[in-house]
Amino acid sequence: MSTVQTSHQQAEEPLDLIRYQLDEYIIVKLRGSREIKGKLQGFDSHCNMVLSDALEYIYNENDDEPMTKKSEMVFVRGDSVILISPIIE
Amino acid sequence: MSTTNPMPFLRSLIGKEVIVRLKWNKTEYMGILLSTDNYMNFQLDQTKEIIYTKKNGIEQKSSELIGEIFIRCNNVLFIRELNEEDNEISKNGTETKDEDGDSEVVEEVIEGEDVVVEES
Repeated sequence: MSTVQTSHQQAEEPLDLIRYQLDEYIIVKLRGSREIKGKLQGFDSHCNMVLSDALEYIYNENDDEPMTKKSEMVFVRGDSVILISPIIE
Repeated sequence: MSTTNPMPFLRSLIGKEVIVRLKWNKTEYMGILLSTDNYMNFQLDQTKEIIYTKKNGIEQKSSELIGEIFIRCNNVLFIRELNEEDNEISKNGTETKDEDGDSEVVEEVIEGEDVVVEES
């Protein structure tokens, strides 16, 4: 019984940060100089994610301004995710 | 001899200021380690993103405060505790930031005195 308790007492884990962002806007940094801002609809432990109202920024070394792409609903595969951060307004 | 295994070591870093170096883009994240899990994903607070770039053979360092972040495990090269030397660097960065009134800091790192620790 005590073992059960200790496992419950385990401090929060990194994925909880993402869980708290459900239905909130986040920024996701991806491989290949890309970032996506969007409203988090869902995710799993691989960081596969579904974002709505998403705006993708593609950075190019030669251009100062990133290229942008809008999508209403997008699935992001977890293996290209580098980091996830809430958007502080 | 007492051993320190990876998982207990990571747990011992929770609540401390750490530096996480990524495998790509010469990027580091300096912040307070909030939590870690079995994948060794990391959650950092008050994070500063530090990117080292080389322009015309001169090493440059740009840093930006990005707040609370989740770092996916596969991107991590290493994590280590912040030492005094790094603290000076972080202070320097903040000072420059105040002068500019801008969150983006770019400063030159003199070659030879490079602070990048590849071997650590």
